[in-house]
Amino acid sequence: MQSSYIAAQSSGWRQLQFFFDSKLHVRLESIIVLLVLGTAMTVLSPYFLSVSNFLNILLATSTIGVLAIGTTLILCSGGLDLSIGSILGVAGVVGAYFCVELEWPWPMAIIGALGAGALAGYVNGLFITQLRIPAFIVTLGMLGIARGIALLIAPNGGAIYGLPAPVVYLGQGRPLGIPSPVVILILVAILSHYLLAYSRFGRHTLAIGDNEQAGRATGIPVERLRRKLYTISGLMAGLAGLIFMARVNAGDPTAGFTYELTAITAAIIGGTSLFGGKGSILGAIVGALIMGVLQNGLNLLAVQSYYQQIAIGAVLILAVYIDQLQTEKEKKA
Amino acid sequence: MTKLRLALMASVIAFASTAASAADKPVYGVLMKTLANPFWGAMEQGVKAGADAAGVEYYLQAAESDQAAEPQLNLCNTMLERKPAVMITAAINSNILLPCLKSANDMGIPVVDLDGNLDPAINEKAGVKIAFQIGSDNEAAGAQGADYVVSKLGKDAKGPVLVIEGLSGNITGQKRARGFAEQLKKTAPGLEIVASLPGDWDRGKAANITNDILTKHPDLVAIFAANDGMALGAVETVFAANRGEQVTIVGVDGNSDAVKSIKEGRLTASVAQLPYLVGKQAVESVKLVAEGKEVPAVVHVPTMVLTKAVLDAGTEPMLEFVK
Repeated sequence: MQSSYIAAQSSGWRQLQFFFDSKLHVRLESIIVLLVLGTAMTVLSPYFLSVSNFLNILLATSTIGVLAIGTTLILCSGGLDLSIGSILGVAGVVGAYFCVELEWPWPMAIIGALGAGALAGYVNGLFITQLRIPAFIVTLGMLGIARGIALLIAPNGGAIYGLPAPVVYLGQGRPLGIPSPVVILILVAILSHYLLAYSRFGRHTLAIGDNEQAGRATGIPVERLRRKLYTISGLMAGLAGLIFMARVNAGDPTAGFTYELTAITAAIIGGTSLFGGKGSILGAIVGALIMGVLQNGLNLLAVQSYYQQIAIGAVLILAVYIDQLQTEKEKKA
Repeated sequence: MTKLRLALMASVIAFASTAASAADKPVYGVLMKTLANPFWGAMEQGVKAGADAAGVEYYLQAAESDQAAEPQLNLCNTMLERKPAVMITAAINSNILLPCLKSANDMGIPVVDLDGNLDPAINEKAGVKIAFQIGSDNEAAGAQGADYVVSKLGKDAKGPVLVIEGLSGNITGQKRARGFAEQLKKTAPGLEIVASLPGDWDRGKAANITNDILTKHPDLVAIFAANDGMALGAVETVFAANRGEQVTIVGVDGNSDAVKSIKEGRLTASVAQLPYLVGKQAVESVKLVAEGKEVPAVVHVPTMVLTKAVLDAGTEPMLEFVK
């Protein structure tokens, strides 16, 4: 195999890269960037290096992290889902509506949020595969539709406040001292990582993203797979909506606005290709953490929010550039 | 060698004294919505003046826009990491900061609701305690806006009126719109509010809303917008449609953009809040709380109606606080 040949022949650095790439499916460069950023922030601010601050970073990253997991799966398959921000909003509103306005028992908040997300995702998948409308357009339409539905369900377009305690625990609880959203993120990340990296489902996902015709030729049920993927993306958005709703104890129809762009940014910084065929769940988490550390560090240093936006945009371009350099080097080797 | 030793000693003493004095001064955390609106810039100046007068230090931060709710929550949590003596917050909506403010309560840090963005009923449900709430009386401000419109058009005036509300679900915007609507109905029943739509504090959205309502009601006589940004968006649209003379447009805030527009004769009036005073008084009052003294739960800072006449005369004493 070519890769083990490279591993045997080349420097320690290359071997380290190979290890991270094949065993953990994360680009070594991403992890180094995260460590360098963390070190820089530690030096610049005395408040950075503490358990409570790290938990803060993880907590702040949890919503985007969950979204980025769904985004990674979609991007790997060569698709695009622009509606996840709005689905996050409508899922939170549906969950809150069930428990507060209709006064149904608390599990209905969870079922409502996840169900609304999965349903919206399934509709996306249906339109994309059956009506053959491009994913960009279908999900762009769903972005508006879901947001509108969220604003309609919420009375007067305002937040629905006051969820039952077990639901609030999902957002504000601290099992073993770790915030619940972080626990949820870690569990979902591990499951999805195995799904993408080690299952046939994951291999097929990457295959159709790399070359849909070839995938079809080898017998992969492309349309059915895409419908499943968009449903999962919607489900992840529903989960993120549930986490956010629990965190602020309210179903807010304006939640998640422009989050789809942040999720795509996190996935790409983590090494997922925008065009499909290559990607990693752990990479997306590292990407989300890079953004989270940057924002948290700059917040601690009281740097204006506007500089943070510039920094994140710059990191995105830099990350893709480094990735491109790497791919070209590998091609020449 | 002696010179070097002396220099070293001097610098150590200087360092120690600055460190000691830095440790003596309490540090307040101030979290605004966004610095993009000059209203908050004026409040920041007031905070600075209040801090200088009270002998405290502060660090002030804001989110990137007044719709960036989750980033504001994350920012709040991060600010708490620095363990301020007091947290003064202007929440983007009435529920987003509550988890952070609860943590502040648990840490024994007093919380001040700057500009009255929190809903006392929701605070109680969430178990969040606020030292006090300071800001303008938003319902009274809306009512002042209605009084001005009626004084200009007359009690018996008839015609359609447009209300442009704030961000959906934001209590400040709701109060202003409600104050305006109720006072208008009471004093001039002939003026009918044909539409009350959320402009989300956004100039562009307000412009579009105005356009649509003007098309539907070409005889529109007045527009009330819950803040100046939106009022200015409405102004541009109305003048572009050549109806600048016929429509009375009133905003709220009295920020520097609005003052300029009123002096130019475009925006008719603005119910000026005094954000400079709000910021200054917030810091001064919270120092009393930190010292264990009593402060009323709700502190109202007055508002005043700014018109071209008032600005040109320049004699109104409260004008010094309009920045």
